[in-house]
Amino acid sequence: MVTITVNGTVFPVEPGARLSDCLPAHAAPETPCGGAGRCGKCRVVARGCLSEPSPEELRALSPAELARGVRLACCTRVLGSCEVFSGASAPAFILGESEALPAPAPMFGRVGAAVDVGTTTLAVCLYGPDGALLAQAGKMNPQRRWGADVISRIEASRRGEREALAQAVREGINELLAELCAGAGLAADAPDALVITGNTAMLYLLTGADPDCLAHAPFEADRLFGETLTGADLGLCCPGAAVYLPRCISAFVGADTATALLAAGLTEQPGVHLLADIGTNGEIALWDGHTLSCCSTAAGPAFEGAGLSMGMPGRAGAVDHVTLENGRLNAHVLGETEAEGICGSGVVDALACLLAAGDLDESGLLDPEPAQICGKVFLTQKDVRAVQLAKSAVAAGIVTLTHASGAEPDRVDSLSIAGGFGSYLDVKSAGAIGLIPEELVPRTRILGNAALRGAAMLLLDRTLQARCESTARQAVTVDLASSKVFFQAYTDCMFF
Amino acid sequence: MSILTDISENLQKGKAKIVKELVQQAIDQGIPVQQILDEGLLAGMSVIGEKFKNNEVFVPEVLVAARAMNMGAALLKPLMKEAGVEAVGKVCIGTVKGDLHDIGKNLVKMMMEGKGLEVIDLGTDVPPETYVQTAIDQGCQIICCSALLTTTMGMMEEVVKKTEEAGIHDKVKIMVGGAPVTQTFCDQIGADCYTADAASAADAAVSICKASA
Repeated sequence: MVTITVNGTVFPVEPGARLSDCLPAHAAPETPCGGAGRCGKCRVVARGCLSEPSPEELRALSPAELARGVRLACCTRVLGSCEVFSGASAPAFILGESEALPAPAPMFGRVGAAVDVGTTTLAVCLYGPDGALLAQAGKMNPQRRWGADVISRIEASRRGEREALAQAVREGINELLAELCAGAGLAADAPDALVITGNTAMLYLLTGADPDCLAHAPFEADRLFGETLTGADLGLCCPGAAVYLPRCISAFVGADTATALLAAGLTEQPGVHLLADIGTNGEIALWDGHTLSCCSTAAGPAFEGAGLSMGMPGRAGAVDHVTLENGRLNAHVLGETEAEGICGSGVVDALACLLAAGDLDESGLLDPEPAQICGKVFLTQKDVRAVQLAKSAVAAGIVTLTHASGAEPDRVDSLSIAGGFGSYLDVKSAGAIGLIPEELVPRTRILGNAALRGAAMLLLDRTLQARCESTARQAVTVDLASSKVFFQAYTDCMFF
Repeated sequence: MSILTDISENLQKGKAKIVKELVQQAIDQGIPVQQILDEGLLAGMSVIGEKFKNNEVFVPEVLVAARAMNMGAALLKPLMKEAGVEAVGKVCIGTVKGDLHDIGKNLVKMMMEGKGLEVIDLGTDVPPETYVQTAIDQGCQIICCSALLTTTMGMMEEVVKKTEEAGIHDKVKIMVGGAPVTQTFCDQIGADCYTADAASAADAAVSICKASA
């Protein structure tokens, strides 16, 4: 054992350990790329007996940064005593509902919980049998230490971390349940029913199923859930509770989309309706009055703030909204502090403003480059390119689904946007940069965490289970990788 | 302005029809085929490649420019054979088994064609054996493997192994690329070359082919 001093506190560490694996939780930086040394987001200042800077670090860090002792935690190994300074702080998360829901046929007698296992965040709502919202809370998905995206976690599972991944998310849920129950004056084992929604990979990693089939062609899930387990099966703090996992649609389109569809009431309506959950992966569903078709499109982490030179999650210090006033950019910073970086909604606004100001042309060329957004926060040409790839993936997904269903784009009656990033999104800016079709802007509504709301509806009305499952079963999955329409739309939609 | 500069500039703007007409005119004027290719089509693609490397133009511009180049090159191909003009080198390219993402791979292919290389496109979900067999049958100097997923890039190591087993690794170099691939990974699996972007990949491929000629 050697000792490392982290922000002044001493910890024992095995020699040879990576800094990203051995920093205590409160000081551990985000590792969106799963510790591959690519994204440069896990910068810490470290001095002492450490491994030489790796080729990845030499590429990611400037000579000035290296001279100051800046290192990437995921590439740096502890060889002996050293000192580390890490400025990581907890990012914000999205909460669910604020009101009671109708409870015609609850799954439980005493208290029930609706849980959304997001790739980024966990959110839990506690309900009484009358549908009253007793408490709610959220936290980061503890699996983030294996990477921000689904594929890094599946890769970790293949390396033998499957049990550890399951353990991590189960503990996260248990902590939230315990906190909520305590707040409501209940014992942690009080919940007698849970509905846990999430994307297909999250449900695999929660149940400890082998997710290998989700990570390579032909990308077919061997388990789609739509099943009831017990709390004991999942190592939860309420072992006797019935735990319902809603049915997933495919390997890429999960139970979270199925429950978001339920919450949006999409398949109840006449006409043509779209639902999009925009995150690292964009899940898109289209209901044309008869058939539900879905696709999943790889937007990449740009909208989550990762992969951009000054990108950051939506927490204090992030530019979250930008407007153009008299030809000048006017930025709002979360927490009303000095701007440290920019989050997804801020990037979308900023590009819309730069377009309007004429500093960004329709091909995506930025002039002057880099563009100053606020104080020391800039967007570079490379950042713009990353956003072009991301927004084009989403927009082309919408175009391809609309085309595949035979609907005319101008015949789409509504677009519902679900998910965390969407909650903060300015719809007009999203239309201006072509993240969503501009003609849909007046018919677009923001749903917030619709997946969680749908899970709560299932919890409070057991008769909805059959409907939700049959919707998932009947949905047609449109494969984008082999679609010529998608490829054409993907290149067309890259323009502004 | 000479007709060859005209071809290059229209190609950069992606004006496929005009490029095709100009190439035909150049042929009719008796300009040597090799010169039309080098100073017209490839010169234009080379400008696009440089701009792409510097983030000045993006994927759509490369795609339309490549389409213009292909329309022009289609007219030159039969004449090149007659004139005995040879490609700079021969490459086979594909997205590895288990992976269906081909946009990055297509970009690399276009950039390589833009440098005058002959590129055999094996498509996506390509088994290691197919790369090796194609390299043997077609006499390729380079095998190019692309992967977008960390879960599929491991397949590149299999391609290296199969190339070793076939006893052709001394003659055929292996290039690897794609979002999750790094120089460290390239070294680890014993591949020969990694580049971070499509334009650099084309430059590297030309150097490899020239070195082995």
